[in-house]
Amino acid sequence: MRRPASYTFTMRKLTKAFGLGAGFLLICASVWAHHGSAISYDTAHLWSTWATVTEFNYLNPHPSMTFDRTTKDGKVEHWVSELLTNPSALARAGWTKSRSVEALKPGTRVKLFIGTSRVGGFSGIVMKIENEKGENIVGERANATAVDMDGVPGGLQPKPGEKGE
Amino acid sequence: MTMRIHGSFLSRSRGTFLSRSRVWAAAGVFALTGAFALAQGPMAKSDPNVSSDKDTRPYDKHNFSGLWARNPQTYKLPPCQECRDQALAPGYGFYGDVPPRTAEGEKKFNLNHPSRGYELNSKEAAAHPEVDIGMRRAIIPAKGNDPEGRCEPLGAMRLVTFSGGGATMQMVQEKDLIIQRFEWTWDNREIWIDGRQLPKVDDYLPRYNGYSVGKWEGDTLVVTTVGLDDRQWVDQFGYPISDKAVLEERYTRPSPNRLRVDMTLTDPVIYTRPWHASPKIWALIPKEAMSIGGWSGILEDRCIPSDEALFNTFRNHAGGVK
Repeated sequence: MRRPASYTFTMRKLTKAFGLGAGFLLICASVWAHHGSAISYDTAHLWSTWATVTEFNYLNPHPSMTFDRTTKDGKVEHWVSELLTNPSALARAGWTKSRSVEALKPGTRVKLFIGTSRVGGFSGIVMKIENEKGENIVGERANATAVDMDGVPGGLQPKPGEKGE
Repeated sequence: MTMRIHGSFLSRSRGTFLSRSRVWAAAGVFALTGAFALAQGPMAKSDPNVSSDKDTRPYDKHNFSGLWARNPQTYKLPPCQECRDQALAPGYGFYGDVPPRTAEGEKKFNLNHPSRGYELNSKEAAAHPEVDIGMRRAIIPAKGNDPEGRCEPLGAMRLVTFSGGGATMQMVQEKDLIIQRFEWTWDNREIWIDGRQLPKVDDYLPRYNGYSVGKWEGDTLVVTTVGLDDRQWVDQFGYPISDKAVLEERYTRPSPNRLRVDMTLTDPVIYTRPWHASPKIWALIPKEAMSIGGWSGILEDRCIPSDEALFNTFRNHAGGVK
């Protein structure tokens, strides 16, 4: 096997690459920092779905996001959601405003892990977001198990005929 | 940091041990170890005392200046078990020995509809009858009336007892004055230690953070606060106060990296006896550890009414409220 006479590599690059990975494994901090959102959603039964971001707001008290998802029947649903983690915690986890806005710009396809609204409707709290590479983005919580949204019993799903807003 | 590997070194053998893939693997392990150590924060690696309660170095017990938080893991520092709330219900609060309310207090209590604690009429609420009903009556925010949801000031007690997301605060201590700065809502209060007397608050406007004076009793700073605006809640569970409330805080610094406060609320208009909160303890956070993009210090984590109004449209949707 041929080897170059000498080669140099940068520890900083490896460290940076691992640092991003370590960011994905951050332990979830206190999640209900502001505003008692948990009570509005069924966070005991999470759903996962692929979705396309239509709007993202990196704002206090919790970032908010609207997205479209397509059911297995090809129907497009329009959802509203808030994100679990507030901006200060996101920033400390490395998800600054510019980085988060870029990661969730309109048109971005993401996999969302959601607790849906307990009163029904196309509303939820996003506990975890993965990009198309399966990387955890814009959040602290790496460990969230969920069931795919289509065709699964239990939990709270939008009622048939429910109109999204 | 760079590492230079010479080809001659690698080609010493037939490559069975020092093959390129093994070198890269070893470098990767080294990088992972180094990166993990760096991820702990620079202080953690170089100073075993940072944020530790085992620190026995001499320190000034009468100086509270610094950055403090109740969840040092947020800053990749060793955990502080004693910083956690002695919680009676989910979340953070005044806690301690919740006193019965007067008739007037009960009327005011029933006007407040919090969204934290055990949910009203839930199984969990029924399973904890020993917990005061104030912490067992949460309703969805869309139907509640927590003033925090309108970006109204939290008030002194709620600022001090807030422990969500690290509960970061800064104490800035001068000879005559301590300024307490709170990250969430970017609020502050002043504690005068210049020997002045408390004001006759009838002559002043009530203030959400009140009027505070402190005096030393040995190594304990006893802070007395009056003139509190009665629109504030004691904590997120919606306990009320009157404008006759008197708050006493006893601050100590039991070790270099720990700040503790024991609070007592006395409000005979609302409560039948003084209310002693559970102790609140913070860990000292080195400036370098509380840094984003190279900028150290607490964040300007404001509650902005227009942002809140947008958020509330999502909140209301979740609650089925138009």
